[in-house]
Amino acid sequence: MSRERLAELGLSLPLLPVTSVGSFPKPGYLKKARSEYAQRKITQEELEQEEERATRFWMEWQDEAGIDVLVDGEMYRGDMVTFFAETMRGFEIGGLVRSYGNRYYHKPIIVREVEWVQPITTEWFRFAQSLTRKPVKGMLTGPYTVMDWSFDEYYDSRREATLAIAAQIRKEVEALAEAGCRIIQIDEPAISVRPEELPLAIEAMQICTQGIEAYFITHICYGNFERIYPGLLELPVHNLDLELSNSELDMLPLLAENPPDKDISFGLVDVHSRDVEPLEVVQERIGMALEALPRERLWFDPDCGLKTRTIEEAQAKLEVIVSAVRAAREQAPG
Amino acid sequence: MRLVITNNGSYPRVGDRPQEQRLRKALSKWEKGRISEQDLRKAERLTIAEVIREQIAAGVELVTDGQVRWYDPVSHLACALENVRPGGLLRFFDTNFFFRQPVVEGEPRWVRSVLAEDVRTALDSSTRPVKAMLTGPYTTARLSIVNAPELAGDVRRLTLLFAEAYAREVEAAAKAGAKVIQVDEPMLLQTPGDVGVVREALGVLAECRGEAQLSLTTYFGDAAKLYGDFQDMPVDIIGLDFTYSEDLVSNIEMVGSSKVLALGLVNGRTTRPDDPETIFRALDRILPRVSVDHCYLTSSCGLEYLPRDRARRKLELMTSLRFRYMRGKG
Repeated sequence: MSRERLAELGLSLPLLPVTSVGSFPKPGYLKKARSEYAQRKITQEELEQEEERATRFWMEWQDEAGIDVLVDGEMYRGDMVTFFAETMRGFEIGGLVRSYGNRYYHKPIIVREVEWVQPITTEWFRFAQSLTRKPVKGMLTGPYTVMDWSFDEYYDSRREATLAIAAQIRKEVEALAEAGCRIIQIDEPAISVRPEELPLAIEAMQICTQGIEAYFITHICYGNFERIYPGLLELPVHNLDLELSNSELDMLPLLAENPPDKDISFGLVDVHSRDVEPLEVVQERIGMALEALPRERLWFDPDCGLKTRTIEEAQAKLEVIVSAVRAAREQAPG
Repeated sequence: MRLVITNNGSYPRVGDRPQEQRLRKALSKWEKGRISEQDLRKAERLTIAEVIREQIAAGVELVTDGQVRWYDPVSHLACALENVRPGGLLRFFDTNFFFRQPVVEGEPRWVRSVLAEDVRTALDSSTRPVKAMLTGPYTTARLSIVNAPELAGDVRRLTLLFAEAYAREVEAAAKAGAKVIQVDEPMLLQTPGDVGVVREALGVLAECRGEAQLSLTTYFGDAAKLYGDFQDMPVDIIGLDFTYSEDLVSNIEMVGSSKVLALGLVNGRTTRPDDPETIFRALDRILPRVSVDHCYLTSSCGLEYLPRDRARRKLELMTSLRFRYMRGKG
């Protein structure tokens, strides 16, 4: 039972914990600072001051809003893959490639052996954790996704690249655990891309997590889950964080048919819509989740990172989740 | 045998140079209500003109509008139909590109042409013939969420309904002056058992092609086993992705072709350099087996999966490869 794992780690969470997937929108002053830094108008230190200010803002807001497991909001990151490619050796940062609509990212190119040089996220974790008594999640991008969302001009195969990246990301996982992080999320949104490669993604995750004292979550989104479920349950993590509302909860029958032996972080709101879901809609989704899965296994959060929303939209979406979960806890006290 | 260079379909609409950011900025401002629809259309037209200039400068002889106006490969056309609305995001095959899943609420019906304006804009900016793009009825049907009980579970019927609607697009694109109309059916490679449904749907489109040539194009999968079936399709051109298959060249060598082939031999998904010798060997085996007077040399898929500078280099590579190959043949 994953609750037992949490207890072993000294973590006591309420029934139906509320969390976020990772990213939050950056305040205007930080966007301005990032732009000025890119134009070399301000120093790295000045940029970091604004990143800290924005992180403080989000940490305080989450605490007050009643979120149970907090995230640092990734104020110091751009794209989820490019950030790690910029901070590990072996990558060049390529040109812009579209991901959807009018959204683009600098797709990295693997040009040499990938190498972790020093801790990437631990200082931010320590800083965020120092601002709250609640647990803060450490957040990393998984090796399969880093491989799949990069061009590769170095390794001979996708497998070789994935396993090489996994060995390096493990070092960051170890560093996070050493820094005191007990809940570590390793995102693998690319995992459904090629169902035949699911065993490779599982093997890579094993490299990242094996023997490390932490509660592991993996976030997965916008894929054809039915092609990789229930195989997905072989991932060596305690919690699957799934985007469900964007796809109109079409994975619920699959979960009900093959009940997961893991906790499920259930995506309750669509992060790609400006509209804030009405309380009744979110309550209805929680009701459906509770019908399909044991309540001890359920966490709730948005479908994905909220960085593409405005601050007001992101806060409103999280607030509606907190309100709906509070109501559900009252109806099903545990 | 002539080898004609064509852009497979999409082209990066945004690049890293400041002048290549025009459409990105315009869309962002338009979404926030800071510029008008007219201003956005102007930015689209300028970007289409720009990507066509790049294609022509690279030596492309059959150009596309780069699908610059397309939100994604599926919802752009599907959600312009009556009874179809955009749904949630889903990954497009094994790419890191996401499309809005069309949600079918009733029988899809054509109400207005989307492609004709795209073709006219491209022709206004091009000294070369223009190819119109269309994601096919079968792929669209397979990638849709069906909320209409009368259509649920009936892929053939939904495909044919999309085909009837898209036939009007084909007709409009042909009248607007497209030389070739390319129908992309990547989904067929995932579910080859539905080849008959695709043939039937293409028959509906073919009746409306007018003076234009119709192309069936597949990618993101192994086309080797279906290649023989492709020869019986009611189309003029077969577009093929050679990057997923070890047997495709052998199958073409064995079966031959009475249709024009669009040879996707240049990898449109990687920044890794293509090997000219591998491409030359494939051409040596394929071209003698084609009984028409020309084939197209192209990339394995649209070039939007690459950064703009790399896409430009892929186009230049095709021209260079063609030059070197033809020179070698005397």
